[in-house]
Amino acid sequence: MTNRPAKVRRRPSGPARPSLVALPILLMIVAGCDGPQSALSGAGREATDVSRLFWVMLVGGAAVWIVVMGTAIFAVLQPPRGARVGNAFIIGGGVVFPVVVLAALLAYGLSMLPDWAQSGTRLKVHVTGEQWWWRVAYELPDGTLVRDANEIHLPAGEPVEFVLTADEVIHSFWIPAIGGKMDMIPGRTNRLVLTAEKPGTYRGVCAEYCGTSHALMAFSAIVHERDAFDAWLAGQAKPAVVADSVGARRGRDQFIAAGCGGCHMMRGVVELGDVGPDLTHVGSRRTLGSGILPNDRETLEAWVRNPDHLKPDVAMPGYAMLPDADIAAIATFLEGAK
Amino acid sequence: MSTDKGQVERATGEGTDLWRLITAPTIWAVHFLVCYVGAAIYCEKAGRASALLPVTWFVAATTAVALLGLGLVFLSLWRVRGFSVVGGDLNYLGNTPEERHRFLSHVSMMLCVLSAIGVVFVAMPAFMLGTCR
Repeated sequence: MTNRPAKVRRRPSGPARPSLVALPILLMIVAGCDGPQSALSGAGREATDVSRLFWVMLVGGAAVWIVVMGTAIFAVLQPPRGARVGNAFIIGGGVVFPVVVLAALLAYGLSMLPDWAQSGTRLKVHVTGEQWWWRVAYELPDGTLVRDANEIHLPAGEPVEFVLTADEVIHSFWIPAIGGKMDMIPGRTNRLVLTAEKPGTYRGVCAEYCGTSHALMAFSAIVHERDAFDAWLAGQAKPAVVADSVGARRGRDQFIAAGCGGCHMMRGVVELGDVGPDLTHVGSRRTLGSGILPNDRETLEAWVRNPDHLKPDVAMPGYAMLPDADIAAIATFLEGAK
Repeated sequence: MSTDKGQVERATGEGTDLWRLITAPTIWAVHFLVCYVGAAIYCEKAGRASALLPVTWFVAATTAVALLGLGLVFLSLWRVRGFSVVGGDLNYLGNTPEERHRFLSHVSMMLCVLSAIGVVFVAMPAFMLGTCR
């Protein structure tokens, strides 16, 4: 042991020091931990709870790891002690300590479960997972439903109850910055209570593989102050607005003539079909194609022509056979439907 | 204790077989089923919004019975432990009924401890939740 070769402890040299390479990579990864889809940004009460749990477990896990590694190294370096010390150590460190830690974590986790006792007057938002978009309806106090699609609006600082189900396959509803997630299962109703705290625009996703375009199934979650939310909801409850222009009126006629209403509800314009997303106020949405594309003229036209190109295997057929002028008119009409 | 008398002097008893080994985990499993099935039936009959207090008492009683059972099994095995691990004369390689008896007794006793922890963890939610929801 005493005649250890002198060169054993030489540090590695050269430009490829692992720590110097790892640092920029680590910084790049950490930079991704913020933004509209971060579970660590704490924009909702439930997300704050989860991120606190994450940090507690991270620090606790690191502490346990350091103690275990330190003890292992200590045991290697020290001469053996008596069996009595060893047994006490095994029972204390191997049985008592894990049991206490796990019991504490279980109690902490159980205390994080939502308080379901007071669910009387909450705003209820019904969300149904479709392939690959979100059917949304806000339940007013009198029981009527205000229909929308692919966007969730929430009042800040109030618990909101999501009533979740799915149409054909299992989806999962998740707004990482606010809270969740919860599976959406056909034939079953799951409930999730979330409290958004900071007004802003966040991103929600489908968190359960649901088919070809699963990765293209997202939505915007917009948190308003209470007054702004009420104003928004009152606007959504009204029928579609047809912009006062020749182009928009022509677009409305083309929209009806091309049979769009066979699948899309547009209150005040056509109220026949209910297969695709409700388009009543499509012009006011942030995104198209359920959270994947900007809501602008170019995208609207491209979507009408060939939706499968933007969202593979989507149920909507392309309308590239329509004259360009008709497609442009439909886009004008939809853009104006605020 | 002289070595030529061997097995007879060291004998700690018989009867610890595989049935005794699974007694403790079986108590744990039955406790789990009784607690969860009982709570499920109660909540189905009483409605989702109803208080969980009767279930809490039911789980507390079931847990007390389960822990009592585990304690009795533990006590019956404790005597053998005195000979098996700390007695110092355990023949680790001995493929004899006595050695098997000691080994299975020791494992059964540790399973008692594990099952008791499991029973407590199973019961914990009943004391922390307020309603059937």
